[in-house]
Amino acid sequence: MTSAIETSKLTKFYGKSRGVIDVDLLVETGQVFGFLGPNGSGKSTTIRVLLDLIRPTSGSARVLGLDAHRDRLEIDRRVSYVPGELSLYPELTGSQLLTYLANLKGGVDSAYRDSLIERLELDPSKRTKSLSRGNKQKVGLVAAFMSRPELLILDEPTAGLDPFVQLEFEHLCEEARDDGRTVFISSHQLPEVEHLCDRVGIIREGRLLAVETISSLKERALRRLEIEFAGPVEAETFGGLPGIIDIRMDGLVLHCTVQGSLDGLIKAAARFEVLNVRTVETSLEEIFMAYYGSGDAIPGAAKTGADDAGKEAGHAAA
Amino acid sequence: MLLRNVFTKTVRDLRWPTFWVSLGMGGMTGYFALLFPTYAKIVDLNAILEKMGPAAKLMGASLGDASTLIGFLHIELFSMILPALMVTYAAGMASGFTAGEESRGTIDVLLSYPVSRRRLVLEKTAAVVIGSMVAAVAVWIFAAAGAAASASDLPWDKLAAALAMLVLLGLAFGAIALAVSAATGNRGAAIGFAVGLMVVMYLVDALASIVDSLGVVRPLSLFRYYMGGDPLRNGISIPDASVLAAVAVAFLALALVLFERRDLAA
Repeated sequence: MTSAIETSKLTKFYGKSRGVIDVDLLVETGQVFGFLGPNGSGKSTTIRVLLDLIRPTSGSARVLGLDAHRDRLEIDRRVSYVPGELSLYPELTGSQLLTYLANLKGGVDSAYRDSLIERLELDPSKRTKSLSRGNKQKVGLVAAFMSRPELLILDEPTAGLDPFVQLEFEHLCEEARDDGRTVFISSHQLPEVEHLCDRVGIIREGRLLAVETISSLKERALRRLEIEFAGPVEAETFGGLPGIIDIRMDGLVLHCTVQGSLDGLIKAAARFEVLNVRTVETSLEEIFMAYYGSGDAIPGAAKTGADDAGKEAGHAAA
Repeated sequence: MLLRNVFTKTVRDLRWPTFWVSLGMGGMTGYFALLFPTYAKIVDLNAILEKMGPAAKLMGASLGDASTLIGFLHIELFSMILPALMVTYAAGMASGFTAGEESRGTIDVLLSYPVSRRRLVLEKTAAVVIGSMVAAVAVWIFAAAGAAASASDLPWDKLAAALAMLVLLGLAFGAIALAVSAATGNRGAAIGFAVGLMVVMYLVDALASIVDSLGVVRPLSLFRYYMGGDPLRNGISIPDASVLAAVAVAFLALALVLFERRDLAA
């Protein structure tokens, strides 16, 4: 099976300023892939190379097994793209624009298009210049999904969407994936896509730092715990445990942050009478920040079932 | 139905500018054709031009004979106003073909559809070729109607020949604007360059008709080929028409090459 997206040592400089450097990105077909990084990290640059809107300084990019530049027209027949800064022809209504784009694509299933319009609650009779950002985005999403493309490339697609549309959008992505198609979503807002994506790639300052499954990212999660003891406990008791960062006793309550497995901490705490344990599950945002915080990916932290341990501990009371 | 492809969409985009430039150019021409007999009775324009001497030539009135309608149209319209309007129309439209889509940000969506950059430029260019021809036909119809109403004699074939040269002149400058916009993505620069070049070329041609030493640079001016053979009197000059057409095709080809290679603005 060919991959949906494959870049090799992809590098793009705009004059002297950095776009992306040596990006080796592999996205398998049939998954929802999150491409994450802060603004200006090179997400859009990578995407625009994939679409042949800009040409790489060096390295190569393949989409659906085809060369991004040489086979562009074939790629464009099978791929849909919604740019981050979506601009529509202001003089056209949503419906006219969709007609135009459908014709350029070589025709689409109009019943399916109409069902998308209905699901996203788009009013297609309005001129696009009078649409709010979220409504423009809906037009872009209908245009992207209506041709049932093998690959959807969506640059910051959730910006400006209200929660209802956001949910419908997630359903559309899941349907596409269940259909064996691929969805590639860029975002700088990790929580917006974390439950949607199977895998994520993290890019910072033009370099791809890591590609991980969501679950293995979570294994590296930093967790904040609060353990309430029945009697006084010295903070030092927990000092030397692996993965423990930042310990503080506040009366009878221990506040600490743990990376990876909670096993050591739980066993050490079990020697005392524990009244309550609360975990504050960190969002991927914080994992994300951990990636940004250091120059490189966090080196292989514990790969045990820390995630499960965390959930159990979350409701534990001794 | 006008949203089938890039060509028809561009025809749709150009419909109002084309309408207005057709109405403006045609209306003026029809007006002059209608009033010519009255005007000729009151004013001896040839005598005035004689008195003006070289100044008349600067205004482009060097070749016309004001005692005939066609000569009158030459002096009043074909030497300056019609080419200025036609060039501004063609360059204005062509400069927006790629740079307009880029500055509006619509190029990202458009080129993510199976439309090659080459086809994009060619289909849009076809639309402005049609638009220029529509404007020329409008001028012809208005002129013929005005001449008929005022019972003036108007050689329709010579008028058509001059309008063909007008269209070619417009397309040559349009192609220059297209090449600049395709290379830079900057619509304003493209219009400015093409219209500025038109003014310079006009002045070069007009001055060269007075100052003999400028004769050597005169072939550099496209106006030399546009009215140099006096199509309103002699009909179309194939060599002159070929030069204008060659310039248009050359700059179109340049635009295709430059646009194909460029990183498009985000």
